[in-house]
Amino acid sequence: MVGAGIAGIQASLDLAESGYYVYLVEKQPAIGGTMPALDKTFPTNDCSMCILSPKLVECGRHLNIETITNAEVIDVQGEPGSFKVKINKKARYVDPEKCTGCGSCAEECPVKVDDSFNQGLNKRKAIYKLYAQAYPNAYAIDATKCLKIKKPKACGKCLEVCQANAIDHNMKDEIVEVEVGSVILCPGFEKFDASQLFYYGYGKLPNVVTSLEFERILSASGPFGGHLQRPSDGKEPKKIAWIQCVGSRNCRMDHGYCSSVCCMYAIKEAVIAKEHCSYPLDTAIFFMDMRTYGKDFEKYYERAKQEHGVRFIRSRIFEVTEADDGSGNLRLRYANEDGSISHEEFDLVVLSLGLEPASDMAELANKLGLELNKFNFCQPAELTGVGTNKPGIFVAGAFSGPKDIPETVMQASAAAADSAANLAEARGTLTKVKEYPAEKDVAGEIIRTGVFVCHCGINIGSVVNVPEVVEYAKTLPGVVYAAEKLYACSQDSAGQIKEAIAKHNLNRIVVASCSPRTHEPMFQETLKEAGLNPNLFEMANIRDQCSWVHMHEPEKATAKAKDLVKMAVYKASLLEPINPVKLDMNHDVLVIGGGIAGMTSAVNMSKQGYKVYLVEKAENLGGIANRIRFGMQGEDVQQFVSGLIAQVNSDEKIKVYTGVEITDVQGFVGNFETTLNNGEVIKHGVTIIATGAEEYKPNEYLYGQDERVMTLLELENVIAQGEKITDAKNIVFIQCVGSRDDERPYCSRICCTKSIKQALKIKEVNPDANIFILYRDIRTYGFFEEMYREARNKGVIFIRYNVDNKPVVTAGQGGLKVTVTDHVLGTPVEINADLVGLAAAIVAPGETNSKLSKFYKVPLNQEGFFLEAHMKLRPVDFGTDGVFMCGLAHGPKNIEENIAQAKAAVGRACTILAKETISVEGKCAFVDKRKCAGCGECESVCPAKAVRVDEKEKVAVVNEALCKGCGACASSCRCGAINVKGCTNQQLMAMINAL
Amino acid sequence: MEFEPKIIAFLCNWCSYAGADLAGISRIQYPPNIRVVRIPCTGRMNPLFIISALRHGADGVLTSG
Amino acid sequence: MQKLTEQIKDTAKKLLEEKKVDVVVGFAQGSLPLRGTPLFARTPEEADKLVWSRGCENNLANYLRKREDKAAVVAKGCDVRSIVALIKENQINRDNLYIIGVPCDGMIDRKKVEKLLDGKEVLEAIENGNSLELKGKGFTKTVDVKDVLHNSCLDCRYGNPVIYDELIGEPIPAKGDDDFADIKEFEAKSPAERRNHFVQEFSKCIRCYACRNACPMCYCEECFVDCSTPEWISKSATNVQDNILFQVVRVFHSAGRCADCGACERACPMSISLRVLTRKLVKDVKELFDAEAGVSMDDKPALATFTANDPEPFLVKE
Repeated sequence: MVGAGIAGIQASLDLAESGYYVYLVEKQPAIGGTMPALDKTFPTNDCSMCILSPKLVECGRHLNIETITNAEVIDVQGEPGSFKVKINKKARYVDPEKCTGCGSCAEECPVKVDDSFNQGLNKRKAIYKLYAQAYPNAYAIDATKCLKIKKPKACGKCLEVCQANAIDHNMKDEIVEVEVGSVILCPGFEKFDASQLFYYGYGKLPNVVTSLEFERILSASGPFGGHLQRPSDGKEPKKIAWIQCVGSRNCRMDHGYCSSVCCMYAIKEAVIAKEHCSYPLDTAIFFMDMRTYGKDFEKYYERAKQEHGVRFIRSRIFEVTEADDGSGNLRLRYANEDGSISHEEFDLVVLSLGLEPASDMAELANKLGLELNKFNFCQPAELTGVGTNKPGIFVAGAFSGPKDIPETVMQASAAAADSAANLAEARGTLTKVKEYPAEKDVAGEIIRTGVFVCHCGINIGSVVNVPEVVEYAKTLPGVVYAAEKLYACSQDSAGQIKEAIAKHNLNRIVVASCSPRTHEPMFQETLKEAGLNPNLFEMANIRDQCSWVHMHEPEKATAKAKDLVKMAVYKASLLEPINPVKLDMNHDVLVIGGGIAGMTSAVNMSKQGYKVYLVEKAENLGGIANRIRFGMQGEDVQQFVSGLIAQVNSDEKIKVYTGVEITDVQGFVGNFETTLNNGEVIKHGVTIIATGAEEYKPNEYLYGQDERVMTLLELENVIAQGEKITDAKNIVFIQCVGSRDDERPYCSRICCTKSIKQALKIKEVNPDANIFILYRDIRTYGFFEEMYREARNKGVIFIRYNVDNKPVVTAGQGGLKVTVTDHVLGTPVEINADLVGLAAAIVAPGETNSKLSKFYKVPLNQEGFFLEAHMKLRPVDFGTDGVFMCGLAHGPKNIEENIAQAKAAVGRACTILAKETISVEGKCAFVDKRKCAGCGECESVCPAKAVRVDEKEKVAVVNEALCKGCGACASSCRCGAINVKGCTNQQLMAMINAL
Repeated sequence: MEFEPKIIAFLCNWCSYAGADLAGISRIQYPPNIRVVRIPCTGRMNPLFIISALRHGADGVLTSG
Repeated sequence: MQKLTEQIKDTAKKLLEEKKVDVVVGFAQGSLPLRGTPLFARTPEEADKLVWSRGCENNLANYLRKREDKAAVVAKGCDVRSIVALIKENQINRDNLYIIGVPCDGMIDRKKVEKLLDGKEVLEAIENGNSLELKGKGFTKTVDVKDVLHNSCLDCRYGNPVIYDELIGEPIPAKGDDDFADIKEFEAKSPAERRNHFVQEFSKCIRCYACRNACPMCYCEECFVDCSTPEWISKSATNVQDNILFQVVRVFHSAGRCADCGACERACPMSISLRVLTRKLVKDVKELFDAEAGVSMDDKPALATFTANDPEPFLVKE
């Protein structure tokens, strides 16, 4: 995995969970990529770090992911199945194995440098951790800035304070070679250098900032602690402007592509900025086309306009200058749509930077013979979603073209699936499993708690009186042993803890040190190695939530530490062993829907070695793609579809059912039983829903009344046949027919590009035809922008209409007449049209989807498309385990994207299928039948659909395979009959009572 | 002596507890009269915990997730 | 009333004769005037004891949970609301229940009668439509029925059963929306005043749990007050804080499920005004979720469903 941003992390996790060993190579000293630097994420406004950090932690401690930071891949040789990868591990000067991340070194370091993570808005030290929650949680030294590295006799203050002996200024770069079966390139993107565009004043005017700088300004962990202020003078801005397309859609800069994400992030930044202010903040976004084409984006845009009052100004900016009154304010001079010139003054200007391909990849690509497109992005090979021209080498994320997080995650899972498909035979051969001694039975034993209180060097010990806490711990009920540790997490401490467990016959362990979020698994390992169940362990967080936050109140901090230890000891005395739950699993796959997405999933699944049942409701395979002729990049779609159908039909592992529907579904992940209307019952372990979508049947613009008015799919056929277009003089396309309105408040995403594609096809056959595209915003995102330019160059006329003044189509003598108000002239234009193409919306198959939604207990959104588990990071998953989706069932998208998503669904499903059995951690809900009244409250609140009331016994039953242990059931149960293992009412009450 | 409220906080492991950790990592100083109980999800938050905490002498309860 | 009594008897007898049900749960005349008592009629002869009067105040839903037999119930509006809520909570099998719905415009509050009579004992009460003739040792007094109805009946907006298998009598006319004036008045008090009120009221509580037992929705196998692991609450009535905790949790547990039948308050031997609490929750649930307990078979329980549009007034926004 080349690059450890969200794509690399996701693909690594998918592969590692699917039975492969992963080398994750990252050039920064920590994994995470761009996402940790973002404040919030659209369209859910989730905190970026909050949703990412569980993945960082999971990835970081995965037994089968070897994270290599501060490193670069310098060469790849070989062929699929056996590549040799050369990696340059740069000297970090800090041993991440020894470093505890305590930060004492940085406090002492005298050298201040610009904090690159905070976009240079503040300073950090020459020895630094990339960001607060970084994994590995270890420091690194900036060799270009460190005094001692430059002059060995100078400084060395960090060495003096590091009690873990982790620092070594003499480290050297090291070249290592690893053997791998496939390579996934996901190095991410770089930001456009805005100082290249002098007229925006970036670099000269301090209150012109980039969008990434603004993310850091908004972030609570940013340079201003989340306080919205200007960099120049700390003033709270009253008016902020965003300038779109900075370094995008710009041919002069060789950036002719659309960066795809900037419209949404600018809206998000404007909305979040408003939320930050107690005063009314004026926000204005200066844009050309508003490209909110993704799932739920259009609604976000509308809400920003209607509810938040963000101003949207369609314009071209001429320049940004500083006001001459010394206020530091900025003056924007811009042209409106009608050509008039306006000025407006702002306190702060944010430049919405475009995305550029990772610059250092060009060299590697060259070495590998990897083809990049003209912008140096590694655009996926046609209709592969993630393939490159080199077999065995895949691409994911923004390096394949500008894209947002969900699409990056989708591609990552897809790349995981594609690379695993080639290596299916090797699955499980290189993964590591750890062996432990037999577990001691502690049932019925008297509680014997051991408490270990950590100094964390001086991090805890300098504030909290550790010996006093140890003495206090000894007085607590059940505690038979208490000791202090310099670093509880060090190797020798682990040995001492094991020794103490044996010597004092301890059966409950409490460690008072740092955060259980980062260290609990490590201490639990120690328990397992000592033969204790890992859940007989409890932590008291006396560093992150005590000594670090009460540094100037040592007495009160000590008192708090005692309380925290007391709470932990009380809870520990009630802890019981929890054992993982194992259930049998069926390893077959059911794919619902035989369109491109469904067939792609089926073929890929079969390559992974799993048996697939492919169910299609229509008589033939192919789905809506049967009606598509021209791929967006000129692919022959019909040839592709028939090839895919042939492949599916000839695959022995794929059993195809056509003309068949689903009538009933029972079971859960690993154990589904789906009944078809032919009476057959399919037993399968996972389900992939790929039910596709339909074209909206318009009832506007004379559709259905005049045969010269047709939808794009109908027009596609007409163009392919050629006759009607060879002598057509005027052809009109009308965009957003049935999309972006009150009934369907979403963008259908592909229609702008499709219309332009068709316009260009017509121009090929009939260059003299006048083609008019009547649009609201042209949404040719990514590299499709090139097509938009080509169309304009070839004379296709684009007329923007206002949604309040839609075009009118009338039929009269002499043909069809389309009347539209021209956006520049402001006057109505009449076009005599020979053909009118309606860009009809993509709509969800309502009945099919709502039926499946009930069968598989998975939700739909308001528009009838399936709703994923998380819009950002789980784009093909559902809250219900073992059910995945892909293709148009998820929302409008083009064929290439459908293919990527189909493979992504496979990648995710394989993480389940790769296991012999279904094994869950066991921190599940459990029911006391004696107390349960069977009222069903738990059943209705369970988000994972893991509880139901048994009809015969009238008591709730938990399906441990599905339970996520959130405890919503336990907190809504009036009778106290349902509880969560490891977090029972009794345990929590014990903690409360301890105070 | 000035009144010092005793506050019990119930924090979701995945977000707010992480936020409290971040406050530590960022060395943000706040008054030491808060005691944190980590829960797997705010869904685990039985209203009885709030009432019981208040009954057991807490002056305030913070639930965050 | 006499006519309703006859109709109820006829219906009950027929159901029992035809063996459509094993038992009819209704009311018989109690041993005191204005007092109906629950009756379980298993034969047509026993059904002859059934009556309908303004003394039929008990919520009979209480007797219908987890029955194995086929039962019919004589149910007022509030009984039916509780029944609906209990069906949804799997406590009543609708298939085994025959609902003889009786529209009801209110039951008599004997405490109000007692007050009107300055404590004199009523020996006979004759219902005459909207007036009530009360006879005792040396007095006869006629009062307007609406002056002696239970407050819960005055607040009731669902006198007509929302579901039934058979309706006896004429539906009563609809009233306007409940304005919750009593609750608004209480809410307007200062926290200190409210606290004082509760401390005063709940210092009377003897923790007899009659309120809990009278409530058709309180059916846990083990109530949280009785639980020892964990011990949520002390078991003695000496501490008013614990008494308040008991009531607060009891009321919270009935949020979105309480039909405001008033059974808890009627059952309280210490005359504690419990409906201030229950009705506050009824009001909140209505205002926040636009939901009322037991008024439709289709509504999902307000507190057991989640939508992204749920109001979250308790959230502190960034």
